[in-house]
Amino acid sequence: MATPSHSRRLPQGGLVDRTRPVAFTFDGQRLVGLAGDTLASALVANGVTLVGRSFKYHRPRGILSAGAEEPNALVELRAGARREPNTRATAAELYDGLVAASQNRWPSLRFDVLAVNQLLAPFLSAGFYYKTFMWPASFWEKVYEPLIRRAAGLGRAAEAHDPDRYEKATLHCDVLVIGSGPAGLMAALAAGRSGARVVLAEDDFILGGRLNAEDAAIDGRPAAEWAAAAAAELAAMPEVTVLARTTVFGAYDHGAYGAVERLADHLPTPPEHGARQRMWRIVAKRTVLASGAIERPLVFGDNDRPGVMLAGAARTYVNRFAALPGHRAVVVANNDDAARTVAALSAAGVHVQALVDCRTDVSPALRAAADAAGARLVTGAVPLRAHGRMCVQALEVEEPGGRHATFDCDLVAMSGGWTPAVHLTSHLGGRPVWDERALAFLPGSLPPGMAVVGAAAGAFSLDECLTTGAYAGIEAATAAGFAPPAVEVPRAERESTAVAPLWRSPRAGGKAFVDFQNDVTTDDIELSHREAFRSVEHLKRYTTLGMATDQGKTSNVNAMALMAELKGEPISAVGTTTFRPPYTPVAIGALAGHHRGKAFRPTRLTAAHEWAREAGAEFIETGVWLRAGWFPKPGEDWLAACTREVKATRGGVGICDVSTLGKIDIQGPDAARFLDRVYSNTMSTLLVGKARYGLMLREDGFVFDDGTTARLGEQHYLMTTTTAKAGEVMAHLEFCLQWLWPDLDVQAVSVTEQWTQFAVAGPQSRALLQRVLDPGQDISNDAFPYLACGPVSLMGGVQGRLFRLSFSGELAYEIGVPAGFGDALPRALMAAGADLGVTPYGLEAMSVMRIEKGHVAGAELNGQTTAADLGLGKMVSQKKDCIGRVMATRPALVDPDRETLVGFKVVEPGVRASAGAHFLDIGAEPTLENDLGHVTAACFSPHENGWIGLGLMKRGPERIGQRVRAWDGVRKRDVVVELRHPVFFDPQGERLRG
Amino acid sequence: MADPTILPATTARRRSAFEGLAVVGRHGVAEGSPGLTVREMTGLALASVVARQGQADNVRNLVAEATGIDLPVSPRRIEGAAGTAGDGLSFVFSGPGQWLAVAEASAVGRFAAAAGLDPAMAGGAALEISLRAMLAGAAAVAGQGDGRGVLRLSGPSARDVLAKGTAIDLHPLSFAPGDAAITWCAHVDVTLWQRDADPTYDVVVPRGFAGTFWHWLEESAAEYGIAVVTPG
Repeated sequence: MATPSHSRRLPQGGLVDRTRPVAFTFDGQRLVGLAGDTLASALVANGVTLVGRSFKYHRPRGILSAGAEEPNALVELRAGARREPNTRATAAELYDGLVAASQNRWPSLRFDVLAVNQLLAPFLSAGFYYKTFMWPASFWEKVYEPLIRRAAGLGRAAEAHDPDRYEKATLHCDVLVIGSGPAGLMAALAAGRSGARVVLAEDDFILGGRLNAEDAAIDGRPAAEWAAAAAAELAAMPEVTVLARTTVFGAYDHGAYGAVERLADHLPTPPEHGARQRMWRIVAKRTVLASGAIERPLVFGDNDRPGVMLAGAARTYVNRFAALPGHRAVVVANNDDAARTVAALSAAGVHVQALVDCRTDVSPALRAAADAAGARLVTGAVPLRAHGRMCVQALEVEEPGGRHATFDCDLVAMSGGWTPAVHLTSHLGGRPVWDERALAFLPGSLPPGMAVVGAAAGAFSLDECLTTGAYAGIEAATAAGFAPPAVEVPRAERESTAVAPLWRSPRAGGKAFVDFQNDVTTDDIELSHREAFRSVEHLKRYTTLGMATDQGKTSNVNAMALMAELKGEPISAVGTTTFRPPYTPVAIGALAGHHRGKAFRPTRLTAAHEWAREAGAEFIETGVWLRAGWFPKPGEDWLAACTREVKATRGGVGICDVSTLGKIDIQGPDAARFLDRVYSNTMSTLLVGKARYGLMLREDGFVFDDGTTARLGEQHYLMTTTTAKAGEVMAHLEFCLQWLWPDLDVQAVSVTEQWTQFAVAGPQSRALLQRVLDPGQDISNDAFPYLACGPVSLMGGVQGRLFRLSFSGELAYEIGVPAGFGDALPRALMAAGADLGVTPYGLEAMSVMRIEKGHVAGAELNGQTTAADLGLGKMVSQKKDCIGRVMATRPALVDPDRETLVGFKVVEPGVRASAGAHFLDIGAEPTLENDLGHVTAACFSPHENGWIGLGLMKRGPERIGQRVRAWDGVRKRDVVVELRHPVFFDPQGERLRG
Repeated sequence: MADPTILPATTARRRSAFEGLAVVGRHGVAEGSPGLTVREMTGLALASVVARQGQADNVRNLVAEATGIDLPVSPRRIEGAAGTAGDGLSFVFSGPGQWLAVAEASAVGRFAAAAGLDPAMAGGAALEISLRAMLAGAAAVAGQGDGRGVLRLSGPSARDVLAKGTAIDLHPLSFAPGDAAITWCAHVDVTLWQRDADPTYDVVVPRGFAGTFWHWLEESAAEYGIAVVTPG
């Protein structure tokens, strides 16, 4: 192996900037590349050939390709929180200060302990995990899998929080062109010149694709120069968006494509305020897929040795990066591309020892290329085995007649033909079709609106790429409603693309790799066949072929062909596995974009949030809402604060933000009739200026939701829902109006956000309210009795609504104001009630008071309870019909053994019970058979001076007064409770009517 | 000392949805002219108008008679002409037979005077009262302005910023001044419309999600530079 140095850079040529050296490190070694390099090309230029260890056998590996298909040269890029495993060195743009490390080796890349796995190879064959680590099953997750993962793995993910920002955006266009090789550039130019909105997405950081990698001419000038001119023309078109460093990774319905733009991957850190990557959702009327093709390796013995490289990649390193992947090369191929490889290497000063072609009859051009390079042309020959370990040293071939020949070399440039990158054509279910002439799978049925051009469609020659691209661009723009001008297709050579099958060396020595990334050899495929895993999908799962980060880009077709050979069937009959997004790995951060951490989902705050925060509230997440849970004073825990708040409310006055309850404004001549149908009880008899508790059933007869509805006018109601069900109830009402009863003249709109609502509860609530109401409004018990409601003016002219409702069981009101005054309202109440001891209370205290009062809430309205289960059977009117009434009479819903609402109190003072505990008879084993029901809510009740709760229990109401256990296996609590009537507090309701 | 039980009217200060969030000044990238200018529209009153069954045409006639505004029947916003009864009033299509009425401060002032209300304390109620009178028996009217925050976004990067949150195509060929949309932006339901070709957009955000929306906006626009100007 050569000592790493800068010695393998050619003095001129290529698309690198020799005036801008770029320093980087690989495995701690300081190296220098040039601006315009990828990490791989910089390593090549420095003579680094060994870059990683393989997945299973820890075999030394080098750089196979020069693009996104790379299976070997995977590195950990960057360090610390930005460490990025499994980065393809061939796709990583070099930047100053880049830090890369090889992976899957210990202690070092050159000496790797687990390379011993190679000796264990006979035991590590396909299906090894499944056969070996079978027993005991419980060991899989805890023992086997972690062990296997450590031994056979890829890189290590960063453990710290990713410090970078990602974002998502939508981009609409008339024509999306994917890929900027000759076909893509022509398509973009042809469509762009029509004025259509064109998006050209290119994976690479420069446009041109293989035009930058080949010594070709377009219209008489170098291809790379033509590409640069085309890029400049596109950049000047106002409606054309060029996205370089952007991978279109998935095709989705309705012309939507997923793409990731790497905004700052080529920088040490993203600029301040800038995102590292942006995920684009591109919505295109038409799409031109010009994704090119991927070269196939040849399958022969030890074909994975560093220095064995795809021929097209060798040309890329030489032509584009002016970097020599070797000094003495053997070119081995089954196709006419070999002529270009020989010419390119020879022109760069590489000594081409031999051109080995499996065909006996080769073209004059090939012969001429070999002659010009002084290379020995060996026809009708097959490669047998690469020699050398850390780097290839020779290639042994078999000539016609069985004679062996060995050529010394440090580079084997191999080509098994080209595989069109048809991945995106099959994301929506299209099946690629085998083409015997092209020896490739070509696009089958396409996603709507897509055309495939150039090499991706099997049109491999340069002039075909330009022509098919131009026509597709014109067609796409026309279909999108534009009138593109005629295009003169630039002149280019039609190279020969003849190819003959050579799916594997017939007599390979050593291991012949088919899938480099997963260490799948010809032996594994034969084993899979012997063991009857013969369908391509089984072959993939059994051998892991085509899995992991490269998804078999270089291996699938060779594997299919081998399986076809083993089965004695044509490749077309074997078929191919289906491709799914993403085309290349996508960072989860890019998929999440802005929506991570607390922004993963929205947070909803009430208009009084800032007041509550200032008042010292601890907040509780309820759905997307943040609600004040309790307002601790110094030294108080939640229980102490909650207990104090309950006592202060019951003893004086408390205020509580209840704005999160859903509020629905219902108007129209048929509003009363409508409400009678959606509520189980009657609402049409409600008088204007009155409110009533209502129960809503689902279609299947179970309880859906509850809340109060106030009649604000003859044809005007205000419905409230629970916080949790606000959206569902609104959707339900809209469904009823639009679908069930479109004849009803009713208008329903959500006004949840419009109104801030505070409960003002306690014996002093009336006195407090009177102080914030504008003068001259009578809210005495006679003028404004229990369940009254009506408009009020308060705080100097604010138009509010007052409801005399009580969830706490106290004399209580709910006061509503437009949310703009939602912050002012509690401040006004607190200021006005200081001498009354007014106390803010939170969700916990509210919950305590509702349990004491026996009101049901979310834990009881759990989708499995009927009105009768909740003791609300009388709420289902038998005088009228409503949604759910009939289904609620099904036998199982009226079974007397159903679990029914009951109260309880823990017998031993100071001992806690918890929600989720199960009721059991005393002495009964905690088994499913003995289960009597469960505790739905529990709290410390200041009123009862002990722990009380509500629950659902079989025949609970019949057992009131008896003792049972509340057994909580999760929290390890087992307490004796006495069953009680669920209303602990003021059962006659005297206080709330006071 | 004043009687503590008599509350001065000034205690009831109206708090806008983006108060404490949209801090006036420069945010994000500090160099160059800001790509996005943000102004919270605090003086607006909003109300939903839903035609009663079969009354959509009647509502359109009544509004045209009273204000000269030809109510939109597609996702657009139509504003009243200056100097007419519709001055400062506009309607945004929000579904067949449904509109969002938007009154700017000048119109709110007129409606409040007519209703005998203080525009600062009851501007929303004044709009509701006026619309109810205008559309008696033809539509259901409900105040919505307090439940919404409205941001006016303008500047050369406004489209790029919105593209990071909404899937709507805001290219000039697809979405022009006068066009409106009810859509999603950064996981939040929004209504937005374009005012002019600058471009300037008004984005209506539910009050409870103002913080979520602002967090997204600030982060998404930071790379272009943000100027938050005095609300009004």
